[in-house]
Amino acid sequence: MTKRTNADDVLLDCRNIVKSYNGPMVLLGVDFSMKRGEIHALVGENGAGKSTLIKIITGVEPRNSGTIAFDGKEITHDHSKNAAQDLGIAVIYQELSLIHGMTVAQNIFLTKEPKVPGLPLIDIKKMNEKAQALIDKYRFPLKATDYIEKLSIGQRQTVEILKALSGNASLMIMDEPTSSLTATEAALLFEIILKLKADGISVLYISHRMEEVYRLSDRVTVLRDGKKVAVLEKEQIHPAEIIRLMIGRNLSANELGHSMVKKETEPVLEVEGLESEGEFSGITFTLRKGEILGFGGLVGSGRTEVVRAIYGIDRLDGGTIRFLGKPYKPSVKNAIAGGFGFIPEERRLQGIMAPITILGNIGLTNLDTLSRFGFLGGKRELVMAMDGIKLLNIKPAHPDIPVGNLSGGNQQKVVLAKWLIRNLKLLIIDEPTVGIDIGAKDEIYENIERLAREGVSVILVSSDLPELTRLADRIIVLRKGRIVKEFTEGVVTEEMVLRASSGLEEGGAK
Amino acid sequence: MNTKKLMEDFRLPLVLVLLMAALTLISPRFLTVANLSNVLWSICVIGILASGAIYAPITGGIDLSIGVLAALTGIIVDIFMNRMGINWMLSIVFTIAIGAGIGLFNGFVLTRFKVPAFIVTMAAKTYLYGVAMVVSNGGMLAILGPPEFMAIGNGKTFGLPNPIFIMLAFIVGSHILLRYTVFGRQAIAVGANETAAKLSGVDPRKVRLIVFTISGSTAAVAGIVLSSLTQQTFAGAASGIELEVMTAIVVGGTKMRGGKGSVVGALIGAVMVALIINGLNLLNIPAPFHPIVTGIVILVALLLNQGGSPMKFSKNIGAKAKARGQA
Amino acid sequence: MTLTSMRRLILIAVMLVLGAVLTILNPVFLTLGNIMTLFQEASLVGIVAIGFTLVMITAGIDLSIGAVIAVTSMICVNFLSHTPIPAPLFIPVALAFGALVGFVNGTFITRFKLPEFISTLAMKGILAGLALVIAVKDEFGFVQNVYIQDETYLWFGGTVGNVHVVTIAFFLLAFLTQTFMKRTRLGTNIYASGANLTAARLTGINTDKTIVGVYMFSGVCAALASIFISSRMMTAMPELGIGSEMDVIAAVVIGGTPFTGGIGDIWGTVLGAVFLALIKNGILKLNMSPYIQPIVIGGIIIATVIADVWYKDFAEKLVVNAARRKEILEQSRGDVA
Repeated sequence: MTKRTNADDVLLDCRNIVKSYNGPMVLLGVDFSMKRGEIHALVGENGAGKSTLIKIITGVEPRNSGTIAFDGKEITHDHSKNAAQDLGIAVIYQELSLIHGMTVAQNIFLTKEPKVPGLPLIDIKKMNEKAQALIDKYRFPLKATDYIEKLSIGQRQTVEILKALSGNASLMIMDEPTSSLTATEAALLFEIILKLKADGISVLYISHRMEEVYRLSDRVTVLRDGKKVAVLEKEQIHPAEIIRLMIGRNLSANELGHSMVKKETEPVLEVEGLESEGEFSGITFTLRKGEILGFGGLVGSGRTEVVRAIYGIDRLDGGTIRFLGKPYKPSVKNAIAGGFGFIPEERRLQGIMAPITILGNIGLTNLDTLSRFGFLGGKRELVMAMDGIKLLNIKPAHPDIPVGNLSGGNQQKVVLAKWLIRNLKLLIIDEPTVGIDIGAKDEIYENIERLAREGVSVILVSSDLPELTRLADRIIVLRKGRIVKEFTEGVVTEEMVLRASSGLEEGGAK
Repeated sequence: MNTKKLMEDFRLPLVLVLLMAALTLISPRFLTVANLSNVLWSICVIGILASGAIYAPITGGIDLSIGVLAALTGIIVDIFMNRMGINWMLSIVFTIAIGAGIGLFNGFVLTRFKVPAFIVTMAAKTYLYGVAMVVSNGGMLAILGPPEFMAIGNGKTFGLPNPIFIMLAFIVGSHILLRYTVFGRQAIAVGANETAAKLSGVDPRKVRLIVFTISGSTAAVAGIVLSSLTQQTFAGAASGIELEVMTAIVVGGTKMRGGKGSVVGALIGAVMVALIINGLNLLNIPAPFHPIVTGIVILVALLLNQGGSPMKFSKNIGAKAKARGQA
Repeated sequence: MTLTSMRRLILIAVMLVLGAVLTILNPVFLTLGNIMTLFQEASLVGIVAIGFTLVMITAGIDLSIGAVIAVTSMICVNFLSHTPIPAPLFIPVALAFGALVGFVNGTFITRFKLPEFISTLAMKGILAGLALVIAVKDEFGFVQNVYIQDETYLWFGGTVGNVHVVTIAFFLLAFLTQTFMKRTRLGTNIYASGANLTAARLTGINTDKTIVGVYMFSGVCAALASIFISSRMMTAMPELGIGSEMDVIAAVVIGGTPFTGGIGDIWGTVLGAVFLALIKNGILKLNMSPYIQPIVIGGIIIATVIADVWYKDFAEKLVVNAARRKEILEQSRGDVA
């Protein structure tokens, strides 16, 4: 292949990338390119195709069609993960690839440790020296001999970066790197990124945080619904403009937005001053009967932490809760007894029990109502399971199928079903339609809306803006563990929610 | 869909039938009442143990101490009855209580200190053996009475040996416990996905404590039956029986990682293993080969349990063993 | 890591105290002969424990090691001695067999994803049966005791000066293995595979091969131990070594290697093996009932594991609290900035 040379020295050149997962098209001919020594941000809503594009670039997933050239050389269709690494493409996993019980130096040089000449032994002194040199080059407050367990998340992330550097990475991909960092650590990370750029290393930065994108990027590529909608040069980068590009579907529907509805029914959940050290503070709101309260905010803003604390899974350090007018102490047991349900974010890890049948999954939460003296009769359980299946249109409609064999959408319905069968007063749903296709999504929305009509109160945590604005009667936006905006009336558009989540002022340009 | 499930449900009994057919072909002595009731009789103790021990794998753990516990309780019940003169019924009750207590202790160490089940029960296996040796003074104790106690192991009801009824009672009881009670569901849930179970209101700690208490209690019952049956007891009794129990449980379809289990399957598994051993005996294959075959059976069963496509169980078990015998 | 060093110091201190007490109660304890015997016992268990330590570091278990000892001793003593193969060649054959068993174990665990304790337990059953099958029997089917006469073979069970050959071998093996684990890439890969399988894979380590290799090493160690054992006894029995897993596990656990994997080192196991031998020897020298031994060993295992968990929780709480406080301080400063 002839090497493409031009004045700007392109490092990565993706053209017309098409990808579909067994049907639905995720990427519809995306062009994406990066220059050497550039900080390039990739933005887009959830589902826009960012993660998929990254997976294709790093070789984790194969593309359907399109070309990728890295450093002038074409990358073939079936290039693997290791091949990408060898080429110099590194992904920073935020500590996932670090080994506890080992030092910084050991982690940096894992599988590539310098040896004592002539012997198969590792030269520990040399390894530490080389590691320290690398650390010092970027002026990190780290010692090569520090053990990983003793480091904070931000520091560990730094080690990940160093690890990539020692592997001669020329392109570093970072996916929402600041979501678990403190402000100081984030600032340090930005310095690191700038230093990387100075050394000629390119950084592909994926983030929802507009202020970071604005601050760091040389260029921004905006993806929407699997297409590239814009590539902005430095002068053109404005957070408000980026948000508009990310969301701007057919403008009419978006401009209409959805009306917030004010409910006058009796309060079901009253929380005041909830706080958890390091996670969130000052959370105060009231949830009324039959109301759908939406929780908006960026990844890492604390929404999941708040609802988990309310449900009793995580610790609560302060604040009071009243449930149905009476003081309430958060615990899973109290919750279930009181008609209070929780659908977790990761249904596969926390929501379903795969080897157990639909009947078994639905029945588990309801054992108290089903059993007499601890015994379960066959018929009542079956009736309950069939009710659940019919209610949510679960397919295949056989109660004896292990839930692990169902599609993602149907699995989520099973999780939903086991709560709907109960006499619920309040249901917390965390990201109800992640990884579920459009058709199944609508069914789930209908069910949530029906719940609310029947008088159940719902707290809906969602990063899916259309979903949030469509379903919620009222939206609370969290940012960095605090409530920054409450949309109680009037029309709310997705853009408004995203701006609030990003800490931008209401309306107009930035 | 329905046919698939039907196939899965009947796979085990089908293999059993095939196995029996193969054995009938191999030896005319197989299909006699004497031979078959002998087979059933030989698995009584394993069946009782399996009925209680199955809960540990269902929750993702294992109880390796059941063999030694059975030996120890056999010794204890003898001491209660014949050395301390306690009424035989009370002795049995006390002994089962002790078994339950030991099981509870194992469960406690496991849940409170998050020590892996196999370490807790393996250590228990060691020190309980020592205790058994101390209590029995390292010797073999012959049990000759009281007659009611002896009847447990040696008496017959309706023409069949008592131990068979006891075993069936425990199997049925455990089956009901697993399938039809809240506890059974919770145990399966804990093994399938502990986090999801917790979110559904299950308390895994409580569940595990009960699991090990059951394991200990049934081990005690097995020990009582065994000592009555063999009319003796010593610290080394039932040594190594854990492997046979686990084989039965695994062959019966229970997954060692948790979340799936079948008590009736365990019984069928025990019968199948006994039949295989019976077949080996009928073929005059010497004793040392038996544990080898059992070990291979459990490995094959494990592979099948883990794997996806249901492979047809080989009909040629008898032929294989024969070939080995001639090697 | 101070945690480990402190733990070791405590262990050594306890041993010294126990030793002192034992000497007072029975002065025979502190004779050269007894001490050497103690180390010999420690070495026999310790050699197997070294292999087992590596298995534990990968967060696995190998319950078949006792049976490997039985079978390899049978192979050497009962089988090969009836062939024209010269005795010194028994050793590589035995080691190869141990490696083969380890290979099978490792493959079941990595490739077929079988749970370790059941598959190695099953292997134990198979090998135990195999030992009986190989054993030479007389016309009535009773196992015959074959006595070894070959000088080279017997050398393994003897002494060099005052020190037993096996003791020297044990410490040599310990030193080599420790160096291997801490100073070579392969050793580091083993730690990585045990500490965090996904992370190790992400870094390009072939965890399957590494783990299979570890089980093979465990098998080889067991085979090696069996040579020393049978040489010392000048014969072998099919039950030899069966049930010795508990001693091995005890040595490793006392030495401080956790089941969760990723951490552990050989010198800890050495200490554990010596500690264990001390206890056993002490029980004997105090004329206590030998039945006390399994009770004490089982009890020590449980006590050690519980104490380790307690200590880890305690230390972790300290670290977490300190880190959290630091983070919150930073965060509040950052927000103000």
